[in-house]
Amino acid sequence: MSPSRRNPARDQVAIVGLGRSPYGRDRVGCTPGSLVLDAAIAAARDAGVGAADIDGLCGSTVATAYVQAALGIGRVSWFANPASVIGNQIVAAVAAVHSGMCETALVYHNAYRMPFASRSAGRDPMRRRAMLGLAETRSAWGTGHAESGANSMFGANAYAAWAGRYLHDYGYGRDTLGLVAINSRTNAGRNDNAVYRDPLTMQDYLAGRMVRDPLSVYDMDIPVDAADAFIITTTERARDLAQPPVLIHAASLGSTDYGIEEQLLDLNHAGQVVVAERLWAKSELELADVDVFYPYEGFSNIALSWFENVGYCGRGEGGAFVRQHWVEDQQRILIDGRIPVNTHGGSLSEGGTQGAGHLYEACLQLRGAAGIRQVPGASVALVTPGGYYFNSQGFLLRRDG
Amino acid sequence: MTHDELLDAFPGVRVDQDNAAYYRGLLEERVVVNRCDDCASWHHPARSACPRCWSRSLTPTAVAGTGTIVLLTVLHQGSRKEGADFNVGHPLVAVELDEQPGLRLGGTVLGADPATLQLGERVRVVVRRLEGRGPRVDFERMS
Repeated sequence: MSPSRRNPARDQVAIVGLGRSPYGRDRVGCTPGSLVLDAAIAAARDAGVGAADIDGLCGSTVATAYVQAALGIGRVSWFANPASVIGNQIVAAVAAVHSGMCETALVYHNAYRMPFASRSAGRDPMRRRAMLGLAETRSAWGTGHAESGANSMFGANAYAAWAGRYLHDYGYGRDTLGLVAINSRTNAGRNDNAVYRDPLTMQDYLAGRMVRDPLSVYDMDIPVDAADAFIITTTERARDLAQPPVLIHAASLGSTDYGIEEQLLDLNHAGQVVVAERLWAKSELELADVDVFYPYEGFSNIALSWFENVGYCGRGEGGAFVRQHWVEDQQRILIDGRIPVNTHGGSLSEGGTQGAGHLYEACLQLRGAAGIRQVPGASVALVTPGGYYFNSQGFLLRRDG
Repeated sequence: MTHDELLDAFPGVRVDQDNAAYYRGLLEERVVVNRCDDCASWHHPARSACPRCWSRSLTPTAVAGTGTIVLLTVLHQGSRKEGADFNVGHPLVAVELDEQPGLRLGGTVLGADPATLQLGERVRVVVRRLEGRGPRVDFERMS
């Protein structure tokens, strides 16, 4: 069956408010809830809406009931807390707004450094209490993984193993992954919100502390305290609000029946393949129309797969592609000398917010509000959050008019 | 064995009605994997329906325990509680069992220099008893 081209929401729903709690590796005094409130208040003020205007809520781990009560949002007609970030929240809100379940939705996601994430986080006694009531991460999802730890092919361990498989099968060295990390770092140098901004050389990269072979400290997202929030409403209503609307032209989630780490048959069965197929089927835009590209790189190898799956190159050619489009004197990727990649520094340098930062930056670029890193004339963004199994997501966003 | 006894044998593991046979098997040092009575295909982790034909008639069946390394990483960082040597490097693999393409189990490789392990190597299952955690599946080299 060929993928459906049906997309009645095309360009009918827009992101019109952006807000965030600044990304930090050393923040004190914040909770997951307070981070979300920072971002939510900022996003509502940015859009020019108040509590009485918001009638939909969609977030990741912080419960919508908490946010609703904390912000005195009197009445909402739609709310949800899907697990995977950030595409599941955005797609749900687009559907809710377009179907009339609500008019204006507040969407949010936060990251919070758990005590095991770093030494400084471990020193904060209240962060230790923040683990209270959390089940062993994946067993709680009920996907089939009943155990985690050093003997389980799960989470970061499995991404490392898939990275190793990729380098082995297609004959690349670690320097191929290094280009993804250096690209992020170079771009982060122009982003005040990024937690790592100092230049990274290939020599630095190759000398990085090995954590999960072949992934070193530079290949894995940076734990931060942070939150991002988005106000989503109809394009029609968005045009009357305070900011230029960013239109959601097409969106898709993707998953296959090989949805857990070690059971994934091969990279042709990753959820990313489904995302790309459906996204292009639902779109009137083509890859050649894209001005800025945001492939998720919470683990560096994921980005190489996104280059392949969205159609820049074939399976296994992602490594060769980034090298071919590497601009040595800028130390970053410019596809065809024109299209920058992860202009904000991504999860590897801005900070790890599971793709929310990628989406936020894409919106800034399409508003023309990205300051010193603004890409001139950016009018179409391709944003692909998520990895291989249960959280692959894609968005084609465009400037209004 | 009662459900309470089974749960007590695997502290910290999400043992449930769907995967109980797998964990009961480990207590007998056997690896049993769900197999469909109607189409004979295997699946893991254990679920209550055959993903190929939707049959609800499944039999936990012992596997030969031999297979090939299809995913490999070496961990250099982890919790001290894990009891692994992260200085030398702790190997972690996914092994495709000989019974069926895509039928995989994960674990470490015992007694192997991690620097010499390779994708495509042949290994066999070892059921290992871990202090305070209950037995689990790991692997050893076949040659």
